[in-house]
Amino acid sequence: MNTMTLYVERNSPIHRLDPLVKLLYVAASILLTYILPEPLYIGGILFVTFLLLIIGKVFRNSLPIVTLSMFLIFSLVIVQGFFHPDNVTELFAIGPLVFYEEGLYVALVLVMRVLVMVGAFSLLILTTATDEMVERLIKKGMSPKIGHVILSVLQLIPQMRATMVKITDAQRSRGVETEGDLLTRVKAFFPLIGPVVLNSLNETKERSIALEMRGFDSPMKKTFLNEAKQYPHNKLIAGLITGIVILGIVWRVFG
Amino acid sequence: MSVIEVENLKYRYPDTTTLVLDDLSFSVEKGECLGIVGENTAGKSTLCYALAGLVPHFYKGAYGGKVTVNGLVVREHEIATIVENIGLVFENPFSQMTGAKQTVYGEVAFGLENMGLPRKNMHTRIEKYLKLLDVYSVKDKNPFDLSGGQMQRVAIASVLAMEPEVLILDEPTSQLDPQGSKDVFKVIEQLTGKGMTIILVEHKMEQIAQYADRVLLLHEGKQIDLDTPEKIFSRLDLKEFGVRPPVVTSIAQALTIRYPDTQLYPVTIQEFKRLEEMK
Ligand SMILES: Nc1ncnc2c1ncn2[C@@H]1O[C@H](COP(=O)(O)OP(=O)(O)O)[C@@H](O)[C@H]1O
Ligand SMILES: [Mg+2]
Repeated sequence: MNTMTLYVERNSPIHRLDPLVKLLYVAASILLTYILPEPLYIGGILFVTFLLLIIGKVFRNSLPIVTLSMFLIFSLVIVQGFFHPDNVTELFAIGPLVFYEEGLYVALVLVMRVLVMVGAFSLLILTTATDEMVERLIKKGMSPKIGHVILSVLQLIPQMRATMVKITDAQRSRGVETEGDLLTRVKAFFPLIGPVVLNSLNETKERSIALEMRGFDSPMKKTFLNEAKQYPHNKLIAGLITGIVILGIVWRVFG
Repeated sequence: MSVIEVENLKYRYPDTTTLVLDDLSFSVEKGECLGIVGENTAGKSTLCYALAGLVPHFYKGAYGGKVTVNGLVVREHEIATIVENIGLVFENPFSQMTGAKQTVYGEVAFGLENMGLPRKNMHTRIEKYLKLLDVYSVKDKNPFDLSGGQMQRVAIASVLAMEPEVLILDEPTSQLDPQGSKDVFKVIEQLTGKGMTIILVEHKMEQIAQYADRVLLLHEGKQIDLDTPEKIFSRLDLKEFGVRPPVVTSIAQALTIRYPDTQLYPVTIQEFKRLEEMK
């Protein structure tokens, strides 16, 4: 359960897709929000992304990530809604706060774009096993050094979470109060930040030693335990995604 | 020929001024188990790094002298080549799980993939070492879901599967619970029995006394002594180096139970009993 990855093991067509195709989807969906920056189009992309999250059976798992980014989104709305330089058309006012149509429009586009990014990245990370992704990228000629970085970064969050649990347990066994009302928790939390960060740095260093000791940086041609997985309709899907992006560009230019 | 030869090894970490390894010279024979003892910061881990090539390839710094492992001069080869000759397992089982694989089976395969071992040879190797380390039953689990003792045995299996000539264990049980430690030492016993060349850094002197053929005593980076466990643990000045002898040796000293010929004290319970009966 409490494993060190964000990956959620499920049986879904999205899980069976080539990680590279999912990576392509991330790039394409973000690109499209720039090619066609109108709420209607971005809404469409957003709809498709959430649909894919549902098909991938990871919609629920994406909610915490989306919620976390809501904070960012919310501040965007406030700033754009009030202070956008093109603000002229007064839309409505709550007390002394005046909302302008122009600002809100820009804010809406930004919010939707961030949602697309977060959604598409969640789709990739939640439905793709780390090893499958790294293996696929290395087979495509990516340097193991970059694999190193990807592995470390993906490990960082769960690793910190695990360290936190370990230290909290130690604190509790020494009689430090770690549960109860918010204030108690916050008080218990702050002294943790230092050790958790230090410990994570140390563990990251140790893990790269472990990777070295397994010959990860070997210049030799790697072999693979599992035969290259067959990804059905890979070319077709990749072509489809590329096609839609091109269509978007054409639409933008001539439409 | 010796499997490991160390000649006048000196080393200083980058941006520091003191030698962490100060003129070490020794060799390790095939099939031997060499214990390394010394207080914290004596330089034990750094010596392990120097044998495995992490010094000077991963940790740069000032390096002098020569280390040869299985005929390879460590300084002149990359780590990836050296690790096929010498494997390193260290303290923290958690950080030795690479995170590159979803299962224990894959974790053990990882080093073999990097070595470029043909796929058809992988399965027999992996299964052999999973069974040897008694972790075959958890082969489909996620490595991070294991207990510390199991993780450490998976780490050992992953390194051994690459079939190095020498295995270095740097305090392999210091972060494990008693049962986990016991399981790991059972494996060490098996490996020494099979004639594997082992370098064991350990704070539990009872274990050093039990498994080591010879013991290297380090202090502030200097090689104080290199001799049999009986010789090392019979030294009266051992405390000065932050090392305490096994409990049986202390008792033997108090009761002056010793080998009649050499006047040394016994270091294991079995020997203690034998000498006591003789007395
Ligand atoms: N990465 C490093 N950079 C600088 N100094 C280090 C580093 N690692 C260890 N040292 C220093 O080297 C000395 C020996 O450390 P170490 O080999 O870990 O000793 P031991 O394993 O015997 O406890 C210590 O004084 C330690 O502070
Ligand atoms: Mg050490």
